[in-house]
Formats: sequence, C-alpha cells, structure tokens
Amino acid sequence: MIQRRTVLQRLMYTLGLAVSSTLPYGFARLMTPDVKADPRTHLRPPGALKDEAAFNSACIGCGLCGEVCPPRCIKFYQREGGDRFNTPYIDPEQKACILCNKCMEVCPTEALTVTPRNDIDMGIAQIDRSACYPWVDRGICGACVSICPLGERAIGFKYWNQYKPVVKKECVGCGLCVEVCPHPSLPIRIVKRSEGTVTHHKL
Amino acid sequence: MSAKGKPFFLWRHLNKLRWLTLATVFSMLVLLPFLHVYQTYVAAHAYDLLAPQEKELYDTMETLTSPLVSDPAEDLDAIKGNTWSGNIFGLKLSDPLAAIGQMAAGRNLYTPFLLTALIPVLFSVLFGRFYCGWICPASFLYELNSNLAILLRRMGLHTGHRHLDKRFKYLVLAAGLVFSMVTGSIAVAAIYPPAVVGRELYYAIALGGFGAGSVFFVATLLFDLLVAQRGFCRYLCPGGALYSLLGRYRLLRIQRIVGNCNDCAKCNAVCEFGLDPLRDGFGQECNNCTACIAVCPTDALTFEIKLKDVGYQGPGHLGKRYQREHQATQGTEKAA
Repeated sequence: MIQRRTVLQRLMYTLGLAVSSTLPYGFARLMTPDVKADPRTHLRPPGALKDEAAFNSACIGCGLCGEVCPPRCIKFYQREGGDRFNTPYIDPEQKACILCNKCMEVCPTEALTVTPRNDIDMGIAQIDRSACYPWVDRGICGACVSICPLGERAIGFKYWNQYKPVVKKECVGCGLCVEVCPHPSLPIRIVKRSEGTVTHHKL
Repeated sequence: MSAKGKPFFLWRHLNKLRWLTLATVFSMLVLLPFLHVYQTYVAAHAYDLLAPQEKELYDTMETLTSPLVSDPAEDLDAIKGNTWSGNIFGLKLSDPLAAIGQMAAGRNLYTPFLLTALIPVLFSVLFGRFYCGWICPASFLYELNSNLAILLRRMGLHTGHRHLDKRFKYLVLAAGLVFSMVTGSIAVAAIYPPAVVGRELYYAIALGGFGAGSVFFVATLLFDLLVAQRGFCRYLCPGGALYSLLGRYRLLRIQRIVGNCNDCAKCNAVCEFGLDPLRDGFGQECNNCTACIAVCPTDALTFEIKLKDVGYQGPGHLGKRYQREHQATQGTEKAA
C-alpha cells in the first residue's frame, strides 16, 4: 500500500524535474533570434523529389550527399529548418551546384534520384531587370552567361553583344549565375519553375 | 562438474580487438570529413590560393593518402559516409533503424535502400547486439565516459546508478516510429547517437561548426554520468532496442561454464550494460562485447552457438558456496 503522501511527493518530484528541465529550453527558445529558413534562396540538391513532404520522409539525414560534393555546396538544415532538420539544401549565394551528379549517385534512398542533366529541376533563374547592371545600362557584365554550365541553352544575351542576360527554359536552376553575380543585391536568383517569368519574355 | 574445458584462448583477447575496432570506426569518422575537404581542394586545382592552414591540411592528407590513391578527387570516394549510411568500396550499408525509420516515414518500400540494411540485419540476427559493442561510434565515447565515471568515483564524486526499466527503449523505438509516421520526417535519426555523432563530426569538420545534435549528444553523456551508467544505450536508445529485438534468438552467445566459475562477480562489475553473467543472466541486451570474458580470472566464460540462454546453473563449482553445499551433501551420503 502506497501512502498518499509518497504518491504526492513523487508527483511533485517528477513535475519539478520536468519543469526545471524544460524551463532552460523555453528560455533558450525565447532568447534566440527567430531565424527562418528562406525557401526562396535555399535549393534542394539536384534530382531531389519534387514534393517537399516526400523528400523529408525519404531523406534519412546521413549527410552522404554533402560528403561527396566537390564544391562543398550542400549544407544541412539545423533547428531553423523545422521538419527539414538534417536534410540537405544548397544556398547558391554562398556556393552553387556544379551539376556533377555525385550526390544523386551516392544517395542511398530515393530522396535524390539520378536524373539526366537536362531533366534536373532545382528551379529556374529569374533576373530582376530593374537592377541587373546591363539591363539598367550601368555597364557590361555577362558573368552569368559565361559561367552557365549549360551554355547558350539556358541563358543568353538579349541581342548580340549587348550583355543583357535572358534566361531560357532549359535552365535547370543550378545557381552558378547567382554565385558569380557581382551585383550586391543579386538581381539574379533561383525561383520555382512555376514562379519564373521566362515564358513571358521574348528574346 | 566441469564437463567443458577451458574456452579458446583468443577469446579473452577479443576485448582488445573490440576497442581497436571502436577506435578505428571513430577515427575514420573523424578522418573522412578531412579527406573530403582535401578532395574538394584537389578538385578545385587551386593549391596556391589556399590559406596556410588549408595548405597544411592539404599536405597532411596528401602524405596520408598518396600511397593508396592515384587520383584523390575520384578514388577517395571509395569510402564515404558514416555508420548511419555509408559506402565501402562500392558496398552500400545502412543502419537497420534507418531502413525501418524511412519505411515508417515514407510509408512505402524502397527496395534498393532496404537491401543496404540486409547485411547488418543478418549480422544482428547471428551476433545479436554486436553493433552496440563493436562498431557504434557513440559507444566508443560512452565507454570512455563510463571510464571517466570510474575516475570521478575514485575522486569521491557521486555518479548515477539508478536502475530504470530496460523495456523503456522499446517504447522509445515504437514512439519514434509512430512519430515518424505522423510527421513524415525520420524522427528517430535525431535521437540516435551514432547517427548524431557521424553527422556532427562531419558538420564540425567540413561545414565549419557543430550542429544542433551535439547538444543532444552532450545531454546523453551527462545522463550517463548523472543518472545511470550507459543509461542511454540501456534504457532509451531506439537503435539498441531494434538490435536487441533482432538479436533475441542470436546464434552466438556468451555462456558461463559453471565448473570453472568461482562466483567472484567480476563479470557483473565489468558489464557495461549492467547484465548478470554471474547468474547466467545475459538476455537479448548482451552485445557480445566480451569484457566479461576478458576479466574472468578462472576462464569460466566462453562463446556458445545456441539459440537460447541456459537458465541459472547454480553457484560456481570453484566457489565456496558450492563447495560447502557439495561437501555437505557428500557428507550426508557418506553418513547414510
């Protein structure tokens, strides 16, 4: 027979332990700045499953894609990623994908499936024509066009030798143009294919 | 009486081999990120642009690997990953927990991935929880941690010796899988120490800093120090639970030779998982770590190929209790 007093004592002890262990966590949560991952600038590695939920459930967080990446562009979400915790992303502003296929080949699950280079869809480049140097007649540049691994198929100049870059539909969104862009506000960035305005432009 | 003779003499040295494999796996987990960084430097073809420290890393890794590989950028891909999932010379291996967790989270069967867990599952069925004692990089740190606990106790500090219910880890495993199923992300990966250690070492070395998982790992170390020795592995680890279940009917078991035993209880004292070899209490938690074999002064512990543990065989025949009882019965026989 257990005394009521001992039951209450144990209850209070457990409660006290639980409160004292969660309080520091709560304080830490309150004091840390609220860092939200920016889905616009963060890309999934090439060959990633399109559906975000499917990708999260397929990725086991082993980090192999990061460990084989030659430019070391693949990073991993930490706490700020929420349920994307420990899943890979690429921030092309820091370091962009070179489309080497190694991450797709090494991935043990179907999270990154081997995809031919032309079918990769990490997004599509989008140029802000109110900021890009050549588009606002602030000089010539063409860095994005010269770095593009897909060449003329993905990005070109509006007219010959005018250095106004225009994205084409073949762009796979590797983000090398974002990495190389010299403009401080990065008028070129990678957006979802559905958000791109490539189809509205005429060359 | 002692029907069996002495155990094979090498088995008492297996514990040293075990420490060697643990240390090797852990040092590989440290070395691989460095090798990866070196590979990226090689692939970039820009030695002259490296900072002095980076050059130092480059030179060190070049010295280490140049006898083994001709094209570092490609050939060093032969060994990649960690114990959660990795490649060794084209052989892809994954933790069974990764396979089950992914099955639960994705609610589908992706056969190529499940096959990577086949070899570990087979080995666990044969050797039980051997992963926990022989390979797990977190185990390496946890065992060092329990050695630290011994040191602290010698210094007069109190360390935790609570006994919790060892079935709790099965609850953690089930809850983790249900949670994975509900949220759709593999929750068990975040609380499974070897996966955390592998990841965090990579983050720390190649990506410039420890991630959130290191906080969790330090918490488990403190739990082991302050609450129960090897508490996380024994009571909470979901992977340990899975390996215990797989190894329930393992083929290779440690067994006491009652004829050689003198009831000294050194095996119980040395057992990391708090098992009871002295009274033949091994069960599915035993990870075949062979620490008890190594410490046994009378060669009374050996490997047996059996599907089940034998029950309590009574006091050891070299012990005082057995001899007293035995002589007593003999005495009565003579008297009668």
